[in-house]
Amino acid sequence: MAENLPKIVREYREALLQGSLVVQRCEDCGTLNMYPRYRCPQCQSDKLGWQTASGRGTLHSYTVLRLGAPDGFEQDIPYALGVVKLDEGAQLLVRLSPDADGGWDGYHCDVSVSFVAEPPGQNSERPCAWFALAEDLRG
Amino acid sequence: MSDNWVLTSSPDAKTDPVFVGVGEIPSGKYPDRSFIGDLTEVAIRALHDASMSPNDVDTILLIPNLHSSDDQADLIFSRMVEELGLSGKAKSSMMLHSGGSTSDNAVRVASGLISSGHAQTILVLQCERWGSADVQEMITMLSKNGIPGEWELPSGLQFNAIGALITQRYMHDTNSSPEEMASVCVTLRKWANLNPNAMYYEKPLTIEKVLGSRMVADPLHAMECPMLADGAAAFVMTSAENARNRGLDTAVRIAGSGGCVSHYSIGQETNLSKLGWKTAAERAYGQSGWQPSDADFAQIYDSYAAVTAIALEGMRIAPEGEGARWVAAGNGDPGGTFPINTNGGLLSAGHTGVGGGLALLIEGVRQLLWRAEPERQIEECKRCLIGGSGGSYMDAQILMLERINYDG
Repeated sequence: MAENLPKIVREYREALLQGSLVVQRCEDCGTLNMYPRYRCPQCQSDKLGWQTASGRGTLHSYTVLRLGAPDGFEQDIPYALGVVKLDEGAQLLVRLSPDADGGWDGYHCDVSVSFVAEPPGQNSERPCAWFALAEDLRG
Repeated sequence: MSDNWVLTSSPDAKTDPVFVGVGEIPSGKYPDRSFIGDLTEVAIRALHDASMSPNDVDTILLIPNLHSSDDQADLIFSRMVEELGLSGKAKSSMMLHSGGSTSDNAVRVASGLISSGHAQTILVLQCERWGSADVQEMITMLSKNGIPGEWELPSGLQFNAIGALITQRYMHDTNSSPEEMASVCVTLRKWANLNPNAMYYEKPLTIEKVLGSRMVADPLHAMECPMLADGAAAFVMTSAENARNRGLDTAVRIAGSGGCVSHYSIGQETNLSKLGWKTAAERAYGQSGWQPSDADFAQIYDSYAAVTAIALEGMRIAPEGEGARWVAAGNGDPGGTFPINTNGGLLSAGHTGVGGGLALLIEGVRQLLWRAEPERQIEECKRCLIGGSGGSYMDAQILMLERINYDG
C-alpha cells in the first residue's frame, strides 16, 4: 500500500483488507459519512470514528463497462460498477460481483445487494468495496 | 440563507452586461490546426462579429483545455495577450474552470466584472485539441477527473460509466425505452446536419444505427457517447452603454441565472435521475421576469441523452419523467415546438472538452442575434435557456438569455 496515506484512507483500506466494510461515524452528531471525510460535513467536528457497516443495501444504479478501461483495468473488462445505498443511510460507489450466471443480468435498480469480502490480494492493489446480489449470497 | 436574490442589473443600466459577438471554427478531427492558431482565429472572428478589434478588449477570460497542461500554462501566463497585440493594453488575463459548465460561470464572472466597473469589454476564449489527442491518454485522464482518487478511482470508474449510471437510473425511474433514449441522439444529429461547424454535419443518423452500435457501458451504446473533437470558440461581452455608443443596435443580455452543485462524487449523488436541475431552475426563474414557457428554445449540456432529458424535466421544459419521450415526439427537432441544441450539441457537433458547453452557449447567443445559418435560424427568437453541466454532472447551471434592441 502506498506510503503517506491520510489516516482515514489508511484505516478504511486496512478494514477492507481484513474483509470488513466500515462507515465513518461522527462522534458528536452521529452522522454517517461515506466516503469518509476530514471533518464531519454536518457539524464540522473532528471527532470521527468508525462503525462496521451492515453490509446490506439497495442498488441505486449500476453499469457494466465493456470498452474504454482506464490504465490498469484492461484485464478486468467487462466489469460492473454500482451505487449502493446502505440500509443505515450512507451510500458509496462499489464493484459488483458477477451473478450466479457469471454475468450481471440478475442486477437491476433497487435490487438488494450485500457486501462481499474479496480476496486480500485484490483489495491491496485496488482497495474498493465489492457487493453481490443478496439472493445469490443467501443461496 | 435566502435561496433567491434579485439580479441588480437591468436593461436600462449603463453597465448591464451584454453579449455582442461570437466566433467559432468547425469541430472534428483537424490535426493540421494548432492550439494558439485556433484561439487567435476565434478571437478575431468573435471581435469582428461584435464590430470590434483586439484593441477594444481590456480583459481576457480563458476557458481551459483538457488535452495538455503545457498548453494550459501558455494561457494562464497570458500568451493570448501577446498574440493579440495587447501587451501593455490589457488590464487582466485569467483562467476560470468548472469543467463543462465553465462557459456559464465565465458569463457570471464577466457579468460581475462589467456591471461593477472592473472591466468594460471582455473576450472569452477556448480551444480543445481532443480530436487529435491520444485516445487512451485522454481516457485515463478523464478517468481521474471528477472522481475522488482515494475512494472511487480503485473501482475502475470512468466517464462513460458515470453517464451510464445516470442513464440506467433515469430509464428505470421514467420507464424510457432504448429507442426513446436513442431518439435524443437522432434529434441532435438533425440539427448538426444544418450546422457546417458540426463534426457530423454531413452524416445522418437513425435510431436503428444508434442501437446497433456496440455496447460500451450498459445501457449506453457507442453512438450514445460523445466523440472527442478539436474545436475552438469565443464570445465578447461589454457594457450596454459601450454597445450603444458603438452603434450596435442588437445585443443579448442575461435576464437571470441559477445554479446548484449537487455532488462531487457520482457515488454521493442521492438521486441520479434528478441531479441539481430542479433547484437550479427555481433559483434562475425566481430571478427573472420570465418563465420557461416564455422561451423560444434551449441549449442544454448533452454529453449523454439522459443528462439532457433530466435537465429538460428539471428546467420545466418537458413534463416530469417525460424528458426522453418529449424529445422522441419531435418537440426539440428542427421545426419542432421547442428547438433544443440547434448546433447539434456535444453528441453531434463534437465533444470539445470544456468547450462543449461553450459551443452550446454561443449558439444560443448566435440564434438570439439572428446570425445562425438560415437553415437552422429560429425565426424571430427572443429568449433562450442555457443549461450547463459536466464532469460527474456535479452541477446544474442555468442562464436565461434575452435579445435586446437598442434604438437610436
